Amino acid sequence: MKKKLVSVLLCTAMVTGLLAGCGGGSDDKGGSSDGGKETITMWCPPLDDNMLENWEPLLEDFKEENNCEIDIQIQPWENYEEKWSTGAASGELPDIGYMYAEMFPTYIDSGAVADMSEYITDEDREEYLYLDHGYMMDGQYGFPIVTGVPFVLYYNEDILNSLGEQPPETWEDFARICEKATQDTDGDGKVDQYGYAVGFNNGSMNMLYLLNAYFYSLLWQAGTDIYNDDYKTVKFNDEAGVEAAEFFYSLKDYMPENMMSLAAEDAFSTIFGQGKAAFGVTRSSAIQETLFAESYPDLNWNYVTSLKNKDYGTFGATDCLTLSSQAENPELCMKLIKYITGSEFMTEYHKIASGAPLTKSEQYQGDPKMERIVTEDRDKYRPLQVGPCGSDILQNLASELQGMMEGSKSPQEAMDDAAQYANQALDEYWADKE
Amino acid sequence: MKKRRKFLSTIAPYGYVMPISLILLTFVVGSVVISLIFSFTKYNLLLDPEFIQFDNYKRMLTDPKMHLAVINTLKVMVLVVPLQVVLSVLFSVLVASRKHTLIGKIAKAAIFIPVISSNAVVGTVWKTMLNARIPVLSDLLDLFGIDTAMLLGSSTTAIVTVSMIMVWKSFGYYMVLNLATLLSIPDSYYEAAKVDGGGTLQRFRYITLPLMKPAIIMDVFLSVVSSLQSFELIYTMTGGGPANSTMTMVFYAYNLTFKTGKAGYAMAVSNVLFLLVLAVMVLQKGFMKREASEI
Repeated sequence: MKKKLVSVLLCTAMVTGLLAGCGGGSDDKGGSSDGGKETITMWCPPLDDNMLENWEPLLEDFKEENNCEIDIQIQPWENYEEKWSTGAASGELPDIGYMYAEMFPTYIDSGAVADMSEYITDEDREEYLYLDHGYMMDGQYGFPIVTGVPFVLYYNEDILNSLGEQPPETWEDFARICEKATQDTDGDGKVDQYGYAVGFNNGSMNMLYLLNAYFYSLLWQAGTDIYNDDYKTVKFNDEAGVEAAEFFYSLKDYMPENMMSLAAEDAFSTIFGQGKAAFGVTRSSAIQETLFAESYPDLNWNYVTSLKNKDYGTFGATDCLTLSSQAENPELCMKLIKYITGSEFMTEYHKIASGAPLTKSEQYQGDPKMERIVTEDRDKYRPLQVGPCGSDILQNLASELQGMMEGSKSPQEAMDDAAQYANQALDEYWADKE
Repeated sequence: MKKRRKFLSTIAPYGYVMPISLILLTFVVGSVVISLIFSFTKYNLLLDPEFIQFDNYKRMLTDPKMHLAVINTLKVMVLVVPLQVVLSVLFSVLVASRKHTLIGKIAKAAIFIPVISSNAVVGTVWKTMLNARIPVLSDLLDLFGIDTAMLLGSSTTAIVTVSMIMVWKSFGYYMVLNLATLLSIPDSYYEAAKVDGGGTLQRFRYITLPLMKPAIIMDVFLSVVSSLQSFELIYTMTGGGPANSTMTMVFYAYNLTFKTGKAGYAMAVSNVLFLLVLAVMVLQKGFMKREASEI
């Protein structure tokens, strides 16, 4: 009898626990008070290996000055978008969030993020170097926090010297050197040195990385872009877009034969990094010299920020902080956003984790070799056009390009099919708006 | 006192099943119902859902990506299920025949190790092995004219490669299921067959296989269901590529929800998959019933 009673009680306790676990807790949401203090919640991917510990001391002054707590929740890069989607679905978004370009349209459309224009002063416009990169879809929805680290074209100086070549400036230079560099160096009948270390299969990594690394640059250098000015159709299948696709395809013979099964970063580290390719592309870092010295001690490298065809252009992401439209104290949140992106905070933070200066007052602290990216080459990189259905359109474009590189579609077919898909998605989007 | 006792003994069973029932109702039945409701809406997880009747289901009929996802899912099923079941039966018989030997025990453990490994790890390790051109592996496959470098990079071979890795990863699980049945077959049957002059193949054909039938039916259906739901290995190894050639229905639904903000449509896709799985389960139940009555 007692046993039964205990069992029933235990079951009841389990049910209660289950229900309690399922119940929504209003305390989880930002803006709650902690002993009279306001709490600002912030979601961020890991910007360095030890971000919370690195940021904590830098935020102390702000917390004290404004009598508030800051709850920073680090979400892994791999599931960052999923976290936002599920957070949005359950109405649990933070006061401040970190977003990259492809994420913005959906959240701007839904009104989840606020236009920060009214909080931007003339001094801000003067001080912040990349503020215009956060202006999109007719509003200041982003406040740049990570920028100035574009994807650049690295080259192996030893290979170029052995070929008697100078660093490439144009597409012609690049194609010529790639062709000359693709060789069987040990005479076993197999190519073991490649022109261009490309990996075009990103597995679990974001497919958009393929466009970031290899394709946007060609598109911009060819003189076109993703969307037309009215954002109602795309233009990447125009003459220039097809020229970009054809050029990329024409380089296939100079890429590793397993490029379709290699991830982009693996291609860089295992082929270019090991001195087996003349060129490789990866995202730059202000401390690239230091990092490469550790990872690839024998590599004699340098870089070209962007090639030129009709124009210069390479992808330089501008990741931003955003303000939630549900933030209970938007003024305080904006103050925090400006504090974090401001010179004082970033000067200290960039000593620990390298990065390009975001403001005029911040001094460059990276490796001298990389400095020209944020000085003389600053106009050679740009962020992505932020437009409707962005993620959908670009994911599909990446898949079509995979088909092209695999040989199942011609460049013209791949670009046309991608454009047809994109225009259909945009038609539906704008029809809904009307 | 007696009344209280009677009352307790009446309600006690309900109390025992209540926690799991609540969990099932909330997370299984609840999610199916929610998914069904949302599949009739245009929903992106952010804005309020908008009721659009059967538009999502109609869209599936003309959506080439959906067609590709269905074909890929069926391809995975066709590639995985027969091989997985045959291998699991053969290996379970082999292991059972050497169950007391060291090699039998080692083989059983070795075959089961991939089952307990995480899909993410298995996917990453295989991807690295195939791309790094490990001499032993590439030389072995070279004998059959297979270039390891292109296994994951070609639309034709990527789905076969991923499917074979799924087989390798999971057949140990089915082998263990089969072993439980095999070990329950009395030795006297085999001894009697031996006395009657039955050889190894005959004993397998007339004793082992018929008595393993319920286990094999179970293997087939579990394997069908798991292949219909394949996702993690594909996510890790190919990301659905190249050119969507490994995009299965689950992967498509995932992409629709989290990459393109079409959660309503994704739920319609998931519901079609749910119906497929449900049909398989109903079939399995029928087969098992018939099998039980035959036995």
